[in-house]
Amino acid sequence: GKVCDDEFEEFEPLDFLRDRHVRFFQRTLQVLPERYASLETTRLTIIFFALSGLDVLDALDVIDRNTMIEWIYSLQVLPTDDQSNISRCGFRGSSHIGIPYSTKGPGVLHPYDSGHVAMTYTGLCSLLILGDNLSRVNKQACLAGLRALQLEDGSFYAVPEGSENDIRFIYCAASICYMLDDWSGMDIQKAIEYIRGSLSYDNGFGQGAGRESHGGWTYCAIASLCLMGRLEEALSRRELDRIRRWCIMRQQSGFHGRPNKPVDTCYSFWVGATLELLDVFQYTNFDKNRSFILSTQDRLVGGFAKWPDSHPDPLHAYLGLCGLSLIGEPSLRKVHPALNITQRAFQHLQQLQQAWKDSTGSCSRQH
Amino acid sequence: QHGRVKIKSTAQQEEEKRKEREKKLKIYIAARDACFSKRKEGICDDEALQLTQQLLSSNPDFATLWNYRREILMHLEDEVQKIYEAELSFLESCLKVNPKSYGSWHHRGWVSARLPQPDWARELSLCDRCLSLDDRNFHCWDYRRMVVKMSGVPVDQELGFTDHLIGSNFSNYSSWHYRSTLLPLLHPESPEPLCLSEYELVQNAFFTDPNDQSAWFYYRWLLGRGITKLVTCGALFLSLVFQAQSVGLLLVLDGQPQRVEWRSVHPRFKHSPVWICDLPPGTISDITNEHNLTVHWTEKHTHRDCALYTGRTESYCRDSATDQELFRSELSVEKTSVLQSELQSCNQLQELEPLNKWCLLTIILLMRALDPLGYEKETLAHFQTLKEVDSMRSAYYSDLCSKFMIENTILKMEYAEVRVFSISDKNLTTLCHLDQLLLVTHINLSSNQLQRLPPQFAMLQCLEVLEADNNNIENLEGLFCLSKLEEINLKNNNISTLADLQPLASCPKIKRLDLRGNPVTQMAKIEAELAELLPSVTDILL
Repeated sequence: GKVCDDEFEEFEPLDFLRDRHVRFFQRTLQVLPERYASLETTRLTIIFFALSGLDVLDALDVIDRNTMIEWIYSLQVLPTDDQSNISRCGFRGSSHIGIPYSTKGPGVLHPYDSGHVAMTYTGLCSLLILGDNLSRVNKQACLAGLRALQLEDGSFYAVPEGSENDIRFIYCAASICYMLDDWSGMDIQKAIEYIRGSLSYDNGFGQGAGRESHGGWTYCAIASLCLMGRLEEALSRRELDRIRRWCIMRQQSGFHGRPNKPVDTCYSFWVGATLELLDVFQYTNFDKNRSFILSTQDRLVGGFAKWPDSHPDPLHAYLGLCGLSLIGEPSLRKVHPALNITQRAFQHLQQLQQAWKDSTGSCSRQH
Repeated sequence: QHGRVKIKSTAQQEEEKRKEREKKLKIYIAARDACFSKRKEGICDDEALQLTQQLLSSNPDFATLWNYRREILMHLEDEVQKIYEAELSFLESCLKVNPKSYGSWHHRGWVSARLPQPDWARELSLCDRCLSLDDRNFHCWDYRRMVVKMSGVPVDQELGFTDHLIGSNFSNYSSWHYRSTLLPLLHPESPEPLCLSEYELVQNAFFTDPNDQSAWFYYRWLLGRGITKLVTCGALFLSLVFQAQSVGLLLVLDGQPQRVEWRSVHPRFKHSPVWICDLPPGTISDITNEHNLTVHWTEKHTHRDCALYTGRTESYCRDSATDQELFRSELSVEKTSVLQSELQSCNQLQELEPLNKWCLLTIILLMRALDPLGYEKETLAHFQTLKEVDSMRSAYYSDLCSKFMIENTILKMEYAEVRVFSISDKNLTTLCHLDQLLLVTHINLSSNQLQRLPPQFAMLQCLEVLEADNNNIENLEGLFCLSKLEEINLKNNNISTLADLQPLASCPKIKRLDLRGNPVTQMAKIEAELAELLPSVTDILL
């Protein structure tokens, strides 16, 4: 029989509680509950969620930017005097290895200190969000560290000592190259081959060849190709249409990441942004999407959870906001769908890149 | 960050928890510091293994510690088998706590690969147990694939494994996925007998639970297997317009290669299937002689020829749309009969479950593959139902339906006049396949729901008359440099500012423009503004 759910839907308050979310991110930047201990090694990503979340909320004024910028620079793995560690440079996740606090070089040699590709990516984003001009980022060192992470098959490790390798780290690498405006950090062609090889029979992308389609990996694939400027070269029109179809079928109310899985707030961004990059986001149902995201809003402590009646966490809080921003929630800043920072932060990046181009131009004129 | 459900607890329980946490924290810090000082001194011994084990039990995502452990394990010389087995046992306890830790699975893969005498059966059994708890755990599936590869488990045995999983639960998407990777290994050419039993399996699945997506996605893929796709290369010449995927084009006129620049039809349209070049002035000045043109597409090693006959101002060379199988793939007789019987099954299911969207969508696609023109009426009816049943995606279906109607109209052009394209009153919400309309001189898009004429519309290089009344058009970007366009009918649309009409200034031959029923006509001094913007247009209706 026909399902008529409008009459019987429970009354859910659908107001967006901006101030609660601001306070949620403020607390995230101070102290986290014990159950987050295992995320210590990836602390910089949590910082990114909070900072970018505050940016989307247009509430960056509640934090001390300079202190934050200094702390992020203290996470940079800088080259030693003899540059022997140059292939291990980038940003680390936190101080958990025990390197003494320092925001300046030269680097300190330590057998296990190295950058982590996702930390370099979120570190650079965070600096941009805070309005920093990246002048203290050792760009050549970051790019050398990035090159050392790419494998023959085009995918990336997270750290030079080795780790699992897959499409997530290609996305981090592409974002880093895009932000530093320097694609010498990676072999684009090989990365494209790996991405194409990850396209599954049902037209979603897996983490790698032969692996199951997933909304997160599909975002990594499409966003990477967009950042590289190679979307229509790498994928034919037919393939793009099929990918659109797989993605658009992910909406159930909110979005799920894989067929037959429950909807989860974060996919409102992962799949939503993918649809936006593929120019078909306007075909999704905004009302149902919004209702679902707000049903995971924590009305007391702020933030969003992955499911209703669950604890909120920084990742879902941030991506929930991004999901709302995509559908045009009034009080939120627009988000750049491929780079996953606000358009405001993106414009700051564009200005910086223009200034870099201008200064190299004037340098060459002087010679 | 995995979902944790809220549970309320009393104040006393909270206090006990807090004390417990403080105790754990002290132990953690002590262990961590001890561990690092050991590593700093380069000590790789049993105690180091103990310490890292302690830490990793509570935090399996501390990647550096796994790396340290791997260092220690690589240094071992005695009792390697025993210690590695102990490692596997430790990993199992880690995985029980967090079955989704990248660090744990990666390490297990490393250990298994280096074990002197691996026990792959045990590894498969671990996967079985893990999957029985969560059959969507992709970490476990990925690990299983590695084990299968390393131990040489035969493909048909793994197929049997998926049979077993699917048999007990049709809704097992990860199993269907795995099957999709195994089937091509076993039968790369997909001979028909295998496919039939595979179709039966899938049909059982979606007849049992028509609302489950798994089987339908697999089915869609299965239906598409073994169909050869033809590479289409339609080459159309007119004022030297060539249709190709990229610019690697060489023009030869009367045996002489010409130096020309190829451009896309619209500056915003970078990956264009249509390219234009202008011949240097004076090259074809004499229309009283015949001229022969050839365009070579170097990348695909192909070319098209065209002759400009005496006294003519245009000429073209065109591949037939139906011969090319532009919109669908060529089907063998066997494949056609298989698809027909599948269509019959789906129709049966549709009678039992008239509101099932997957069924409707599959029926539509099967009809498109078999006979797009013959099934046109049924297709439209099914789209109507589909939009009601899956209203969340109704805009997507409207666009898909528009695409199919445009395809049908293009196919019908084969049997009628190739220069007139009429698709009015068809609920069109979008335009596509505009690259197929290069030769069209008259186009009728009236009484639809179009909102824009996109940059791709500039591919209609031969267009002389545009009828687009009664739409919702607010954007005319695509009316760009259409050098033959003379008449534009845009009555009852949504053109609201003068800026919207800017692109028309690039079309030199416009004589008649009907803007009645558009908001822009209410603008002050509109006649004067239009006279300034479009001075050569003699006949403007407001």
